[in-house]
Amino acid sequence: MTEQTDAQLRDEVTAWLAAHWSPERRGDKTWLAEVVAAGWAVPRWSVDWFGRELADPQARIIERAFTEAAAPGSGQDRTNLWANTLLAKGTEPLKAQLVGPLLRGEVGMCLLYSEPGAGSDLAGIRTRADNQGDRYIVNGQKVWTSTAANADYGMLIARTDWDVPKHRGISFFFCPMKQPGVEVRPLRQITNESFFNEVFLTDVEIPADNLLGREGEGWGVLQTALAYERSVMGEMARGPRSGVKDATAEEPLIALAREAGVLADPVLRQQIAQAIAYKRLNALNTARAKADLAQGSSSSIMSLGKLAMSRILHEEARVRTAILGAESLYEGKDHPRAEDANFLTLNAYFTSIGGGTDQIQRNIIGERVLGLPKEPELDRDIPFRDVRTQGG
Amino acid sequence: MASLSAEERSALQDAVHRLLAERCTEADVRATMETPEGYDPDLWARLSEMGLPGLLIAEAHGGSGAGPLELEAIMEEAGAALLCSPLLASGVIAATLLAALGDEAANARLLPAVASGDAIATVALTGDKGAWTAGGVDVTASPTPDGWVLDGAAAHVLHAQNADILLALAHTAAGLDVFEVDPTAQGLTIEPAPTFDHTLRLARLTFTAVPAQRLEASGPVWDAVQAALDMALVALAGEQAGATRRCLDFTVDYANTRIQFGRPIGGFQAIKHMAADLLLEAESATSAARNAAARLAEGSPDAPAAISLAAFACADAFVTTTAASIQMHGGIAFTWAHPAHLYLRRARADAQLFGTPGFHRERYLQQLGA
Repeated sequence: MTEQTDAQLRDEVTAWLAAHWSPERRGDKTWLAEVVAAGWAVPRWSVDWFGRELADPQARIIERAFTEAAAPGSGQDRTNLWANTLLAKGTEPLKAQLVGPLLRGEVGMCLLYSEPGAGSDLAGIRTRADNQGDRYIVNGQKVWTSTAANADYGMLIARTDWDVPKHRGISFFFCPMKQPGVEVRPLRQITNESFFNEVFLTDVEIPADNLLGREGEGWGVLQTALAYERSVMGEMARGPRSGVKDATAEEPLIALAREAGVLADPVLRQQIAQAIAYKRLNALNTARAKADLAQGSSSSIMSLGKLAMSRILHEEARVRTAILGAESLYEGKDHPRAEDANFLTLNAYFTSIGGGTDQIQRNIIGERVLGLPKEPELDRDIPFRDVRTQGG
Repeated sequence: MASLSAEERSALQDAVHRLLAERCTEADVRATMETPEGYDPDLWARLSEMGLPGLLIAEAHGGSGAGPLELEAIMEEAGAALLCSPLLASGVIAATLLAALGDEAANARLLPAVASGDAIATVALTGDKGAWTAGGVDVTASPTPDGWVLDGAAAHVLHAQNADILLALAHTAAGLDVFEVDPTAQGLTIEPAPTFDHTLRLARLTFTAVPAQRLEASGPVWDAVQAALDMALVALAGEQAGATRRCLDFTVDYANTRIQFGRPIGGFQAIKHMAADLLLEAESATSAARNAAARLAEGSPDAPAAISLAAFACADAFVTTTAASIQMHGGIAFTWAHPAHLYLRRARADAQLFGTPGFHRERYLQQLGA
């Protein structure tokens, strides 16, 4: 492919969007296929894999044009967790089978990582995958799996070797979900929603070609996948939660206190100001980290974002409750403000536990950013079958 | 206001960093804080050669005409080193107040000596209550056939005991005004007050029919005072952010080297988790201080909110970090010889000057429309 100037590229993508995209096509299943075929979905990738072999600045030009047109589908070489992981670590037959469909949004996916006995200590998984030559047979239980009911494949970690230390006996698979041994049970959460599922795996069959990386090297593949997941979550966290934020809109806590008639309460005013400040300070930290990165210097601030977000969410919910007082005793459609406050109080744990608890996060910050000594790991260098378990 | 380029700002900050690393060591700070003046005239001369007292003063009056961004950057260094100096009183508050008032004759007479560091200026801003509002002023000015005279008291006046130029806020029948007073005038007593932060110099002033010269104001006087307070808050925020970071750094270093139970105490989650939380405090303080400086530099309508946010976020971060630092060190930091208490003392002082964190949380909320 001949090299284009930035201006030529911008003209080409803008013209293509003008010719093909219209807002009515939102939700149109054929749209993504057109984006992929035109080379706009993964411009950083090679031509063999739907790409244009562009460097990051030119790929950003394409993404910006899509964003300006409010058209989905570009930038998947940064944001499509599944396709990126598969392309980086998958076998040739599996890539040929699934990379295209993943980019076109034709394949439902889910994550099969956590287990009841392996949360913060994810490398302690006990789901087993036994090598039968052309296939693996999987038995075990996974948890905290969203979108499992409609998934075609799950990215699965399972233990293939019990005689080596825990990190070295894990393998990573694309596990076909539409088979009899896969049972998905919705999990009722403290919020009374069922966003997550438990997944029971009984004699589940996985073709040998669906192994990513080599057998026993799944922990490394997982790190690749988690890095993509974090970068995607980072992008999502920076956007507004719903729709476009009105810059002139009043801060929700101020509006709530005004509506509840307690905005003059000096104690609440202090708490409201502090809760808003936590949010604002996090936004300033993120902006500074991005500026540092743009100048080529790495920033320790990014690692703080999740911890900061936990504090923001718990504090917002606490102040909401303080504003409402006795109203927070109730739930149901007659008490929408209490519903919000009570929901947010419980849902804040989604952030302070999910994706690494605040305590694990503090370990990571202490060790990787501040250079403090690592936690001792009693199970690091012993065969996994000798590792102590609950009640053991 | 002519700001320096990012490179020039960074070069200035590096130069200040190197000078303070050499001339403002912990031993230097301890020696200086025991002197009556509370600053080192030799170091002040070196800082003056670098243009620090004149940083905010217009080039026409001998300064460099820089702004809040440059001020914040050097104050991070000053805070980290616990610099003892009249910079805040003279080069920040007095210089900003004079420029904002716009009395051209007074400025031509006073600002060049402030800019060169040859004169130390300070402003009596408030009374004993320490309310940094017009209502907090306890000095009244009365006209006499021989000119104005001041009566009353002012407190918490930075470096008044060292001042060559003394300005005072006072109420007249028509409202608030700024007066210039001879620090050696009859009827004026300047009483240095012992401060919890030994690196700070404060004095209480009493006025009994003290002759004074009223400065002309080109606009509302309180606007000029607020401009001086806002600049002071940006300076203080930078100082707090820099000092917070330095305190965290030496605390983490200690946690990496202090061995108990056969391993560095930083390996224990009880210490490690405190350190992680303090990093969030330190980074947030830095972001808030720099944001306040940037908003003020660009004259943004959001500047007052950004400044109040920085005021309470940086004050709380500094107090929280220094307080935790002593606990994390254990017994060694309960000794006078350890520097941690010097940082805690500075943190507690900075949290009171120009409005408490509670005052600024309230001001922040008001700026957000509540």
